[in-house]
Amino acid sequence: MNKYFSTKLSIFVFTAPALLLFTVFCVYPLLPEIWMSLHDHDGFRNLGFVGLDNYREVLSTPSFWTAHKNTYLIVAISLLLGLPLSMMLSLFMDVQTPRLRRFFKTAAMFPAILSVTVVAQIWLAFYEPNWGLFNSILHSIGLSDWTHSWLTEKKTVMPSIGLSFLWQYIGLNAILFYTGIKTIPKDYYEAALLDGASFAQVCLKITIPLLQNVIKYVLILSTLGSMAFYSHVRVMTAGGPGDTSRTVIYQMYYTAFDTSQFGKGTAIAVLFIIQCLVISFIIQRFVARGKLEF
Amino acid sequence: MIFLKVLSRVFWVAVGCTFLFPLYWMVTMALKSKNEAYANPFGIPTSWDWLNFGEALSKYHFYTYFQNSLIYTAGTIVLTLTTGSMLAYCLSRMQWRFNSAALFYVSLGLIVPIEVVVIPLFQLIKTLHIKNSYLGLILPYSGFAIASCVLMLYAFLRSLPKELEEASCIDGANVYQTFFKIIFPIVMPALMTQCVLIFIRIWNEFPLAFIIASKDQFRPLTVGLLSYFVNVGVADWGLIGASMLLSSLPMIIVYLIGNEKIENALTAGAILK
Repeated sequence: MNKYFSTKLSIFVFTAPALLLFTVFCVYPLLPEIWMSLHDHDGFRNLGFVGLDNYREVLSTPSFWTAHKNTYLIVAISLLLGLPLSMMLSLFMDVQTPRLRRFFKTAAMFPAILSVTVVAQIWLAFYEPNWGLFNSILHSIGLSDWTHSWLTEKKTVMPSIGLSFLWQYIGLNAILFYTGIKTIPKDYYEAALLDGASFAQVCLKITIPLLQNVIKYVLILSTLGSMAFYSHVRVMTAGGPGDTSRTVIYQMYYTAFDTSQFGKGTAIAVLFIIQCLVISFIIQRFVARGKLEF
Repeated sequence: MIFLKVLSRVFWVAVGCTFLFPLYWMVTMALKSKNEAYANPFGIPTSWDWLNFGEALSKYHFYTYFQNSLIYTAGTIVLTLTTGSMLAYCLSRMQWRFNSAALFYVSLGLIVPIEVVVIPLFQLIKTLHIKNSYLGLILPYSGFAIASCVLMLYAFLRSLPKELEEASCIDGANVYQTFFKIIFPIVMPALMTQCVLIFIRIWNEFPLAFIIASKDQFRPLTVGLLSYFVNVGVADWGLIGASMLLSSLPMIIVYLIGNEKIENALTAGAILK
């Protein structure tokens, strides 16, 4: 049967459209990206080969480093704060009554299906300095000294944006973890309970180790997702004040489309792709290597 | 101990409510008049004011953006699912020398985030003269969605028995008939999962649409909403609330109808790995 179906023509018909789409729009753009990063390009004309000058200039721009600091701050927030919170949320969901769990799951995923524009605009209202939610609460409990103009002060702007991002995806990650928890056989828990293990022991010794494949998946997803952090910044602060809240992708957009330096923009992109590759390689190589069978 | 348990439950229920707070806030904000929006931004409106919706609908090009979002999403889904499932079928069933090479090649697509190739994509789309057309976004979206679609369907097809195809082969059906009449219906559950995933991703996609769909008549909801916010400024939060609610409503309705399907689709990847 396989022979009968596998004529040259049918193989061509079945593979060509997808491979063509994939190659032209997903793989091919990497070539002009590298080529452009070695040229002086203003978006319309190629103004000549400049070698590594774009890279040199990009690396000596202070904004480039601010952007990297911000991007990795977001990565740190979503990994060090977001993942543990999601994990706690999913462990909590696991011990609830089915009805409460249903409510919880529906609620938790809700922010993740809203569009970025809507979520960012909602948080703009929360951070509004005069009547925003946070400052109103702080005033009403007598902590007026703690109020800030959250999105226009250099110190608070990045953590504030990070919080909105964190809030949007905590629930989704919790549900991913919870799906993993459901696939762990119940016998393990029964055995642990018979031996008199506490809830904390069960979580640390059984659930989390057996969940490592799901943890790895979520880790890759949220690392790459927060590396490419851009849209929230665009809607909430447009990179301001000054360049303090630009992320790497924002800096790339800004360089290419706002200042018409496509060569430098692509140089930032190439450097960024290398970082993405290195980081996903590190995760693949060092996290959860042993295959678990249960 | 009991006290601790109650306390932790109260805490987590409060957390659950914060996830729903934006919905409450959008609805109440949309019903407030301009003055009340400032005086009472987070409470329940004292009088219901439906004027915001009318005004938002007349100034905010909701129908255009909604239609565009629908075209982009539907176009991407149709294109990705047909081409992707065909490729996955070939890789899992047909005898082709480059099967494993092609599979590896396609899986590379999972590493590159769409944001980093925006600049060359922008140039490419200008060169192909599809910048001011729906294809300008549908084609790159599909190109980027194909990787995960093919990998998932490939895993699904490999677990299917071959008897059905053998039967249809004996009955004299050719490969196209077999694929569209027999395989397509069987992989429907996997296709639905992909459908949901692509829908959520493309409906909310922002970075690429922001650059490529620069003409107002081609903007999807996410980008159109931002340009509307910029126009309104911070002057009228009632209007902003109404337009946010209008833009989110399609997604909220879809979510309320199919939240279990959506949940299964979103988590499918986590267990597959």
